[in-house]
Amino acid sequence: MSQVFHDIEKKILETLQKVPNQTPEQLSTNTELSIDQIRRGIEWLRLKDLAIVAESQKVTFSLGPNGLDSLKNGLPERKLINMLKDEPKTFDQIRSALSGAGFNVAIANAKKNGWIKIEKNNSESLVSIKEKPIETPEEKLLSFIGEKTILQEQISNPLAMKILLSRPNYIIETSEKTKTISLTDAALSLDTSASSSGAIDVEADVPSIFAARTHPLQDTIDEIREIFVNLGFSEILGNMTQSSFWNFDALFTPQDHPARELQDTFYLENLESKNPATSSQIKNVSSSHNKNWKYDWKLSESQKMVLRTHTTCVTIKHLAEQKPENARIFSLGRVFRNEKVSYKHLVEFNQIEGIVIGNNTTLRDLMGIQKEFYKKLGLTKIKFWPTFFPYTEPSLQTMVYNEKLGKWIELFGMGIFRPEVTKPLGIDKPVLAWGGGIERIAMLKYELDDVREFYNNNLSWLRSA
Amino acid sequence: MPVVELNINRIRKLVSGNVTRKQILDVLPFLGLDIESEEGDEIRIEYSPNRPDYSTDYGIATGLQGLLGIKKGIQKTPIRKKGNYSIKVDSTVTKIRPYVTGIIASNGKLDDVAIKQLMNMQEDLHAGIGRKRKKSSIGLHDADKISFPLTYTTVSRDHKFIPLNGSTEQTINEILTNTDVGQNYGSVIENAKNVPIIFDSDQNTISFPPIINSGLTTVTSNTKNILIEVTGMDKEAAEDMLSVVVSILQTAGFEFNELKITGNKNSTPQLKEKTMIYDPKFTSEIIGIEMSPSNMVTCLKKCRLDASVKGKKITCIIPRYRFDIFSPMDLTEEIALGYGIANIEPKLSPSTTIGQKNDVTIKTKLISQTAVGLGFLEAMNSSLTSKKVLYEMTKRDSSQIISVLDSKSQEHTILRDSLLPSLLDNLSKNIHESYPQKLFETGVVFSKGKPIDESINLAIIIAYKDTSYSEIKAIMQSLLRTNFKINSETKTSKNNELFSKGRHADIFVNEKKVGEIGEIDSNILENFRIRTSVVGFEIKLSGLIFD
Repeated sequence: MSQVFHDIEKKILETLQKVPNQTPEQLSTNTELSIDQIRRGIEWLRLKDLAIVAESQKVTFSLGPNGLDSLKNGLPERKLINMLKDEPKTFDQIRSALSGAGFNVAIANAKKNGWIKIEKNNSESLVSIKEKPIETPEEKLLSFIGEKTILQEQISNPLAMKILLSRPNYIIETSEKTKTISLTDAALSLDTSASSSGAIDVEADVPSIFAARTHPLQDTIDEIREIFVNLGFSEILGNMTQSSFWNFDALFTPQDHPARELQDTFYLENLESKNPATSSQIKNVSSSHNKNWKYDWKLSESQKMVLRTHTTCVTIKHLAEQKPENARIFSLGRVFRNEKVSYKHLVEFNQIEGIVIGNNTTLRDLMGIQKEFYKKLGLTKIKFWPTFFPYTEPSLQTMVYNEKLGKWIELFGMGIFRPEVTKPLGIDKPVLAWGGGIERIAMLKYELDDVREFYNNNLSWLRSA
Repeated sequence: MPVVELNINRIRKLVSGNVTRKQILDVLPFLGLDIESEEGDEIRIEYSPNRPDYSTDYGIATGLQGLLGIKKGIQKTPIRKKGNYSIKVDSTVTKIRPYVTGIIASNGKLDDVAIKQLMNMQEDLHAGIGRKRKKSSIGLHDADKISFPLTYTTVSRDHKFIPLNGSTEQTINEILTNTDVGQNYGSVIENAKNVPIIFDSDQNTISFPPIINSGLTTVTSNTKNILIEVTGMDKEAAEDMLSVVVSILQTAGFEFNELKITGNKNSTPQLKEKTMIYDPKFTSEIIGIEMSPSNMVTCLKKCRLDASVKGKKITCIIPRYRFDIFSPMDLTEEIALGYGIANIEPKLSPSTTIGQKNDVTIKTKLISQTAVGLGFLEAMNSSLTSKKVLYEMTKRDSSQIISVLDSKSQEHTILRDSLLPSLLDNLSKNIHESYPQKLFETGVVFSKGKPIDESINLAIIIAYKDTSYSEIKAIMQSLLRTNFKINSETKTSKNNELFSKGRHADIFVNEKKVGEIGEIDSNILENFRIRTSVVGFEIKLSGLIFD
């Protein structure tokens, strides 16, 4: 791999190849890059194992207010000696000349240095010079520092510094962390001119951005709709709120059937449909129920409004109203069940349902349409099992083999509308019907095992699905 | 769908004819039975509510024998008129539970597994065709503990007897309050002063239908003769139930003696077969296979029906317990099952129609495409939502609320009249995700009408710190202009708690209000715990881009 360097990296590399071990500030001055650019560049080089960042502590000293005063006028003990040059003095005399704390400090240090002797005379203490006071290491250090800032490394007498540091406000000590940047052996021998100017690290990671998109479930719905259209089916729409007449009675579901109970079906509070169907439709459906199910059919029961439990109510209503001779139609939309929501069940999901009336309406044709439908979805290993639906006879279900799960899964159901459904509505020909839930297919497609995910609108999933 | 737990070895024994485990597992689905799970020799089978006879291994074995070709045709149920078994119906039951029917099953034996299955079958019958015991209910008794004749009559609520599984006498009222069955099914007899009861000739209580049997007549593995009684609101429904139990007990090896029933519109059950004569051409046309009538007869027999060819027609004999068979279409299904669904070859006929999407679908899709082009992610929310999200957190007017009854889920109780609240809820659940967040949804909203109007709305929402009214207005106008060339205006509107004061407007197209737009109020955002700026709009597409 030929390495590509950003211009910042290149400048830093070149400078350090000339002068190793520089601080970021020095690098900034030498490369004319901002300190921020330098920091970024160092980080990039470090990640590429080209730069070494050594952190160290930098300690400096300068004189505080007392130190500066002493630089000009001498340390208190020196001031004392100067006072005693001509004659000894009493404590009181010295005290009045060296104000405040200066007295104690001056006496103590002069005594420690062996410069003075103190004699007691009556009640007076008399101070006189003992021997010639030479310049102390502290005084030498004071004048060495002067008005400059000195690095710790430059101090030749650390003991004197320690003494000065112990005296308040003589020395200001500052310490700061510094980084020293040096190059690794590999970097020292790099020829940066070999990488062409303007090239960038094309392999580096970049931040993620997310595409705006339609909902994955909507994509599956659209895909399935497209297949129905390709199979010659035309789409019809219908309401999600339906009278019980079209949702149940017209589909031969007796009024005392368990599926019609509150615990399975959503009834709308205080809402009913005054005229759910034409009077002849009502009359015929009612007598079919009375005759076949042997009970007393009630109009009031059929007027109750429900959230449709299937899309079949839409297709059967269309058939009853339009009475087409030859048609393939489908209805797609939300259906509702009063269930506890779980990873397997939703109260509201999408269903598609197609019907065929007219030519080629045998059970074999119905199976043929299914087979073709699944083929278009990429599902080729299918079989049919008998099953039971209240309004179709015969009734079949499709089993589709899922390679990933290693088992047969139940998908769409199908059947031929019972004559007890079609005859009262004036439909004489056989009607094929087939369909099922779309979420099940979408779950296989997106490899989800919790159906609720489709309606959570969890952005991290929507952005990555 | 009901589920039954069975042992595969028991089924093999009942089917006989040396069938293998695999043969049974392979054929079960073609009887319309789903194998739900399989653990060792225990299998769980889901059966359809129209075939209650499949709730025991006896019924399933009878079906399997047919499809496997081991035994075909009807099993006849001879009813002997021997013995002096009878039940007299008193007119007092007319108003509360008018019908009783029954039979004596004799000279048989049930093991514990069979008794357990029968009890489960009884419960499934009660739940299904019995409509939670309201329409009909069943009781099995050890007939040898009973002195005939019986009387079906009513008693007052302080009548006492020892109920099934009880140890002391309890009054009717105590049974209704203290037992599970009493609590679950007490409502069936409502507040009737007197309740149904069956006494024997010694005035022993045999049964308190539809609640509980007497402890006296409990069926055990020592029982040889069984009284089956069914009471109900409908004579036919009661006989339906009886016929299923009879078919099962017959397979279990019992014989049957008549129970004479007299009084008050009641009569002795005949359990007669039904005869249906029909044109075999119909079946060929429905299945799509040319099949000879004699071939069809074989198929019907495999489904444990009897049939014969008479001229051009088929005469089919249907046993009483197959009350799911209404018409020739049902026989066609039986023929298909007998033929074997796996043997029917799918056929793809070319379509003679041209498929077409609905205009509403096409135009809604165009809107979605523009929204995606403008950088929006599509959200999908339920139409059934909660009062909390729809009205309380958004402080919207709830006077036209549309509720469903008895929802099992708190989050799904109200039909939405707007899409924005759910989108805000979506933002609220994604506050840890990166911003900007831009969502749109198209979907049905509901309002009270005749009785309910449904229309399709579009809502858009933008959330990030620098978003503004100008941004959302620009998005809204662009959406309507693209493809549809609709020019829209925004007009100052009266205060609306969803939006910030002075930062919202009504959307007008051709002088008609079609929606609302604005910056979401900070109090509302606080309710949703959203800590950034949010703007949004919602418009009604119905009436604007389609009818």
